[in-house]
Amino acid sequence: MTGHHRARRLYHAALTTVFALGLAACSDVPNTIFGAHSEFGHAEDRLTYLLLTLGGLVFVLVEGLLLFVVLKFRARPGNPTPKQTHGNTTLEVTWTLIPALILAFIAVPTVRTIFQTQEKAPADALQVEVIGHQWWWEFRYPQYKVTTANELYLPVGRTVSFTLQTNDVIHSFWIPQLGGKRDLVHRNKPNYLWFTPESSFVWNGFCAEYCGTSHSNMRFRVFTVPQQEFEAYIAHQQSGPAFPVAQATPADTAKGKGAAPVAAQQVAQTTPAAPGPSENTGTWPHDKLPAWSVPNTPLPAGLTMTAEEGDAARGAQLFKASPCIACHTIQGVSPGTIGPNLTHVGSRTTIGGGLYPNDLKHLAMWIKDAPMMKPGVIMPAMGKDAPQVPGAPPKMGQYTDQQIADIAAYLSSLK
Amino acid sequence: MATTVAAPRAAGPKHKYESGIWSWLATTDHKRIGQLYLYTALAWFLVGGIEAFIIRLQLYGPNGRIVSAETYNQLFTMHGTTMIFMAIMPLSAAFFNFLVPLQIGARDVAFPRLNAFSYWVFLAGSIFMNVSWLFHAAPDGGWFAYAPLNTRVYSPGLNMDFWVIGLQILGLSSLAAGFNFITTIINMRAPGMHFMRMPVFTWATFVTQFLIVLSFPFITVAVTFLLFDRFFGTNFYEIAAGADPLLWQHLFWLFGHPEVYILILPAFGLVSEVLPTFSRKPLFGYPVMVYSLILIAFLGFGVWAHHMFAVGMGPIADSIFGITTMLIAIPTGVKIFNWLGTMWGGSLRFTTPMLFAIGLVSLFTIGGISGVMHSSPPSDLQQTDSYFVVAHFHYVLFGGSMMGLFAGIYYYFPKITGRLMSETLGKWHFWLTFIGMNLTFFPMHFAGLDGMPRRIWQYDANQGWDVDNHISTIGAAILVVATLIFVINLVRSRRSGARAGNDPWGAPTIEWSIPSPPPAYNYATIPTVRSRYPMWDMKAPELTASVPHSPAGEKEVTVKVGGATAGHIETPADTQLNAENAHPSAHELGIVMPTPTIKPLLATLGLCVSFFGLIWHRHVPIIILGGVIFVAALYAWLLTPLEPEH
Repeated sequence: MTGHHRARRLYHAALTTVFALGLAACSDVPNTIFGAHSEFGHAEDRLTYLLLTLGGLVFVLVEGLLLFVVLKFRARPGNPTPKQTHGNTTLEVTWTLIPALILAFIAVPTVRTIFQTQEKAPADALQVEVIGHQWWWEFRYPQYKVTTANELYLPVGRTVSFTLQTNDVIHSFWIPQLGGKRDLVHRNKPNYLWFTPESSFVWNGFCAEYCGTSHSNMRFRVFTVPQQEFEAYIAHQQSGPAFPVAQATPADTAKGKGAAPVAAQQVAQTTPAAPGPSENTGTWPHDKLPAWSVPNTPLPAGLTMTAEEGDAARGAQLFKASPCIACHTIQGVSPGTIGPNLTHVGSRTTIGGGLYPNDLKHLAMWIKDAPMMKPGVIMPAMGKDAPQVPGAPPKMGQYTDQQIADIAAYLSSLK
Repeated sequence: MATTVAAPRAAGPKHKYESGIWSWLATTDHKRIGQLYLYTALAWFLVGGIEAFIIRLQLYGPNGRIVSAETYNQLFTMHGTTMIFMAIMPLSAAFFNFLVPLQIGARDVAFPRLNAFSYWVFLAGSIFMNVSWLFHAAPDGGWFAYAPLNTRVYSPGLNMDFWVIGLQILGLSSLAAGFNFITTIINMRAPGMHFMRMPVFTWATFVTQFLIVLSFPFITVAVTFLLFDRFFGTNFYEIAAGADPLLWQHLFWLFGHPEVYILILPAFGLVSEVLPTFSRKPLFGYPVMVYSLILIAFLGFGVWAHHMFAVGMGPIADSIFGITTMLIAIPTGVKIFNWLGTMWGGSLRFTTPMLFAIGLVSLFTIGGISGVMHSSPPSDLQQTDSYFVVAHFHYVLFGGSMMGLFAGIYYYFPKITGRLMSETLGKWHFWLTFIGMNLTFFPMHFAGLDGMPRRIWQYDANQGWDVDNHISTIGAAILVVATLIFVINLVRSRRSGARAGNDPWGAPTIEWSIPSPPPAYNYATIPTVRSRYPMWDMKAPELTASVPHSPAGEKEVTVKVGGATAGHIETPADTQLNAENAHPSAHELGIVMPTPTIKPLLATLGLCVSFFGLIWHRHVPIIILGGVIFVAALYAWLLTPLEPEH
């Protein structure tokens, strides 16, 4: 599988190089738009290739002519007065008509592709609701009643139909390698996008519409996996949280907040049937992630974490009584829906909108002082000695580093 | 052929408006206003350039830490806003002001005071917008300021207040100037200067003013809505109250796309002046060049939604806007070919203005090609909001507008100041700009095709973008050096450049018949124009032998200046003997010129006070005070006689 991908990627890199006039000496272009891995991406690519080819021809023609003129007709001492021409109707008609023809050549496949790619998605397509938040992604699988964040699993070979909405400002959903892009404009009037992933791999996704302070930190990962793995993934996500918290009951969750939003209700409904954590989480093995999908964001200066090890059981107790529950859902534990659903947060590869790798250290530092970790984030700092970032929401917790490590251990255990 | 009358200057006491700082504050002379525009805009160009360079430093490598995310967002917002509204537009305005009356053989614009008002309002708006830096509250919503991010809910600070008010002020300036120049060009052309004899720059100005007058109302409305939302609690863009976020986008781009042509057409006009002069050939296909200007402007109003292919407009709208966008490439392509046709077979002199003009032809072509790529919506979905678009519009705006404007600056500097700019430094400036520009912006094509989104403060390592960004930043450093050379050249040449004479380039249009710098009244006798290229008719009739609208072989001198006898053609060498200001004053010639007045500046100050009151806690007494000053200044303005009493 990997070899196949490598070959494909090399091929795509080669195409990029050819079409991009040979400057792409860069070895790896993991987010290239060329050689996309879906039929939607191919349709876009075909037009882009056509445009690059024709554009390249025009470029060579015009710049070649310019170069010729500049070299040939430079003034030399003793030059006679140049022959005067003030126009030539035939020539001018020609260079009006030729571009028009070229454009007609582009327009026809363009319109055809527009209508093809904007048809209604097949009825049996996998439905995924994408909801943009400042600055993270919420993904819901309404057919499976699963809600997750910042990591999207899609089965290879099955058409996926996205309904795209925003919770606040306009965002744009873009996975360059799978085809793009579509804006998340409205709150109640979704945009649509559908495609069929063709191969199994990890892709980077980005927010492509400027959406405020942390626009650049609104990234996500897409894992396209074989159908069986996808089913395993969904089954696992449908199950309750991995860490047994006997005290919490579904009833607590349902009563949670007056206007418990849809996601929480869905979680509540599925809880009674939850079979508990399954053996196979269906998640992409964390040790087999390609380099480009492992974040390298440096830690902010001035933020420290003294505790190394945490106790998950203590963390679970702390979490239950913490302000965290107001914003985050953990199935059967907490009802909040302002932040990402954390039911299976331990199974994800990144935190903070794709900004940091999901390990104990980063998780703990995130909990301690999220505003330092990600500019503009609305999650307040929780740590006792966490510096208060100017303009950030006031600190909501007074947790010691050890307590934070406990909570991080608990969250990490939620595979 | 300046003047052969070297009369002594008029004696007598000088009015305070005739010299020193007052002569600038109260000026209604289009040439002085043009210079004010020129130097102010160049100053903002430097500010916008510094902003750009900080952006490039931040993006040099992955996870840059030069500036914070908040500052970065302010930088790119202000870079765009500054370059568009405070650098390129007013640089074009500098040429509208300085050149149009000269090119059409007039003594000033139709409404000289309104013209002064336009400048002061522009200056006020640009300062207002930049004062925000002092409060650490520079606008941060992007120059496009999409709703609902621009609303109080998502941008609670002063940042977007500065933007919305600043833009409103700047728009006022452009609109006032737009009506002024339309009136000027329609009504004040010299006898014989009929439309198809107008220099192409004047044509470009004429078309651009229509674009301004027709497109700025959209942004004015959009910004007024936003101003009301932010200050008075209306709900034009409040999503919670049921607003549609796309309302802003449609209004903004209905302005925003014609704006692109507002930025580029004047540069096209300048290049159409420069290329014939240095090719020693008339412009190839003058009528087609004029028609294509008009066609571009007309089609420019029908393409706005190509900025919105990703918002989900549906297949029909996508197709229509895709095709209209393709159509606009046709008249644009024709211009490129006609410029090539102008140079073809010519005798090309590679002076600095010529180099910049050729630079425009070569670089704008690249921007045009990538522009056509965006016209195909499915292909555009992969390009929009990526660095590919950043590459595209910098080829259009830097490779097009700025190259054209630089060509214009080098070409007209002698007319403006009477002195030539240094050719050596000019050539350094050109080559470093050309190389730096390509190094900066060409790799952005690759970054974009490799999936790098726009407007990102940081990017991660291992994304395949490092090399592209390294090169871009190095290119930007070269551009910084190039710009410094330009500034040095400008300052030195202004003080001690070689004397230019009337017509240092052997140019064809009538502004080159009068002294450099021109006297306050421009033309002592309003010229009678019988040709598209009157200067060539006189000096090199063989160049216009076959040009329509030119009296082939007619020996009669058609331009009369400074009371000079017809038929005597002065060479530049002659003129150099005549020191500056050797020409008689308007008073001596009995020419009535508009009086200088400070009232347009006072009216602007009134506006400033009002807007200051608005942003400063919506302080109603200050708002009213500003209104009172404005109305009082207008009243006084109307009571001031237009011309000195005799």
